[in-house]
Amino acid sequence: MNGHALLSDAGWSIGSIWLVILVAGALTYLTRFGGHVLISLLGTIPPRASAALDAVPAAVMTAIVAPVLVSGDWPERVAIVVCVILSLRLPLIAVVVIGTGMVAGARALGW
Amino acid sequence: MEDGPSNQTPADAASERKAAVRALAPVFLAVLPFGLVYGAVAVQEGLTVLQALGFSATIFAGASQLAALQLMGIGAPIWSVLITVFALNFRHVLYSASLSRHLGAFSRSQKALAFFLLVDPLFGAAEARAATQRLTPAFYLTYGVLMYVGWQLATLAGASFGELIEDPDAFGLDFVLPVYFLGLVMGFRKRGLFYPVAGTSLVVSVVVYWLAGPPWHVSFGGLAGIAVAAAVGPQKRTDTAARDDRAGGTS
Repeated sequence: MNGHALLSDAGWSIGSIWLVILVAGALTYLTRFGGHVLISLLGTIPPRASAALDAVPAAVMTAIVAPVLVSGDWPERVAIVVCVILSLRLPLIAVVVIGTGMVAGARALGW
Repeated sequence: MEDGPSNQTPADAASERKAAVRALAPVFLAVLPFGLVYGAVAVQEGLTVLQALGFSATIFAGASQLAALQLMGIGAPIWSVLITVFALNFRHVLYSASLSRHLGAFSRSQKALAFFLLVDPLFGAAEARAATQRLTPAFYLTYGVLMYVGWQLATLAGASFGELIEDPDAFGLDFVLPVYFLGLVMGFRKRGLFYPVAGTSLVVSVVVYWLAGPPWHVSFGGLAGIAVAAAVGPQKRTDTAARDDRAGGTS
């Protein structure tokens, strides 16, 4: 999470960026009417498949966040653990503001 | 969410639209800051303002837009960006399956538009509305179109402002993405199987991150958690938990 590779440094051309925009948009629309199509074909979703679908967002997003614990510096690691606790009580936007503020503060102090 | 009139008379379009605006107002306050954040981060990652708007216009789902940025920024291949966006948005399959039972009053083209606009808070609002009265196109489309326009304007504002920031890391902007996803994940904690699923994803993601590096930790960590849920099978859970926990954000 330290340092930003600009997209151009990461090998992204203008054409490939617009390709992602269009295809990712089409895929997202597919998910948004896909359930409607499924339900009119099947009548219902099997319980086990439904349980797996339920788990998708939590599983994928956890996998995205996890490396912060091993790849970040100590301010990031401490902040992410504090944010876990804060998110039990506070709304999402407040946790984002506080967590980001902690990291910015730690960097300003040179930690 | 359920602040619409609960009388039995068939509501006219104007009062349906009013009810939609009332239901949307508090959600707007929660969602628009994320549009600003997305726009600012997108420009910092090297997208033009137009490209940042392009993602908001075609995808219209904050979490997957930010995930796409994150992966593109670390040089992930196109297919892994597309798979991640698809996987993160796969929950909409469940939404549209459930919502399709309530669209009796919608024409074919209204249905096509309704599914395009189907974001988490709109799903919650529509289900709550449908529980007490007939879901009308006026209510649903007013809510959805206003949210869509708001998301584009927030993106534009964030992207315009983001260009002015010289050193994003000093403001901790690179930490916004992880903490945002963390907050979204914690919103699911009341679901059955949350801890086994998230715990498995966490461990597998870290191990794969060590062994293979990014972006493999996302796909393998995610698949591991989903496999646990599929293996254990359906759990008893309250119907409202799944909806309420996502009602706060366009994600």
